Amino acid sequence: MEEQDYIQFEAYLVGDLSDEDLITFNKRLELDPKFNKAFEIYKDMSAHLEHEIGNEQETSDFKANLDVISNKHFNTIDDMDNTNRTSEKSKFYKYAIAASVVVLLGFFLFNQFGGPKYDEYNNFDPISLTVRSSNDADFSKAEESFNAKNYNEAIKSFNNILENDFTNLEIQLYKSMALVETSQFEEAEILLRKITNGNSAYQNKAKWILALNYLKQDKDSECIKVLKTIPQDAEDYKMAQELLQKLD
Amino acid sequence: MSDKKLHEDQKYIDGLAENNTFIIQAIYDKFAPKVINYIKQNSGDAYDAQDVIQETIITIYNQAKQKKLQLTCPFDAYFFLLCKRKWLNQLKKSKGKEVTINEEVLSKDDDAQVLSFETSIFENKQALFNEMYQQLGDACKDLLKATFSIKSMEDVAKSLNISYAYARKKKSLCIGQLTKLVQASPKFNSLKY
Repeated sequence: MEEQDYIQFEAYLVGDLSDEDLITFNKRLELDPKFNKAFEIYKDMSAHLEHEIGNEQETSDFKANLDVISNKHFNTIDDMDNTNRTSEKSKFYKYAIAASVVVLLGFFLFNQFGGPKYDEYNNFDPISLTVRSSNDADFSKAEESFNAKNYNEAIKSFNNILENDFTNLEIQLYKSMALVETSQFEEAEILLRKITNGNSAYQNKAKWILALNYLKQDKDSECIKVLKTIPQDAEDYKMAQELLQKLD
Repeated sequence: MSDKKLHEDQKYIDGLAENNTFIIQAIYDKFAPKVINYIKQNSGDAYDAQDVIQETIITIYNQAKQKKLQLTCPFDAYFFLLCKRKWLNQLKKSKGKEVTINEEVLSKDDDAQVLSFETSIFENKQALFNEMYQQLGDACKDLLKATFSIKSMEDVAKSLNISYAYARKKKSLCIGQLTKLVQASPKFNSLKY
């Protein structure tokens, strides 16, 4: 194809051809198979780029969401497989569990006097951000600072990321965790309320962090209210139930 | 295609395009187990299944986003065929083994065959398009990036400090260059143009 042909393809797709040119163009599509084929590829390529570049943010949000759901699904299957496999050893486990319940019970009773503390629950897993992103500097710095519990620095980096990418829920969630850590309760609450009201994969995690936000401020009744909304299939359900019992 | 009736399972396609968490979860709960079983019975494990399913879902998402994928068959059959084909192709590649792909047993649904085949071709196109894009020079890449993220050609021209007419012409020629690269690739023939 000549340069002029590609310029015509573009004009056609944008809807910029005059009526006369349009008739000629359509006729050529019909009669010239090479022209037709090149146009089909040009059109597909154009749609491809529009999606790849234009929806870049949406697509990376989608992939992040998919990752979370996929891992959750396959981890549950793993757990089920493991319980089946270990059935012969289950007698041993029964005794072991019984023994540990006794120990835990003692620990639990002993702990009752102080009431639950935020510090008992804020052992967050390290976060991993660098894998799926291109503007590396901020992402790796955020990850490093967060994992080193240097939360003020982490917040700065999260803010840089959110400037270009304000819909990134994963980053918003991590930022809110850093806000709770640095006792910026009000800002944390606003952010967390927003995430819990959506229906993303981060919704339940946000509820848990919101509950911790109240716990740290000794707002027990509000903490209880939020804990009760954490559903059974949530990652933090067990911890939530444990905390709930202690508070009730 | 357009005269055929849309299947009610179109909701899965639309849900993926909207990044709807409930729909994605439902796809895993309802349709993944069959795929996992199949892969486990055919020299794979749960990790293989996880990858195949995830890649397949991303392909469907991409197609739904761009081409407005119209589902005229049950999602179950369509999804299973896609995953199965992907897995068998991977086996073929990794083991150099002859794998016979006989599709008749598990799907009697012609629409599912046709649609899943179209999606597989779509996936190959995406892969080749991306590969060719990487071969473009930086000037073209920058211009295309600006064009498709800014949308208004006037603003693109302004941001790159060139005239509107030149920006528009450059865009046509850069996509034209990509078109040529695609046509010249040895993989082009498998794309069914």
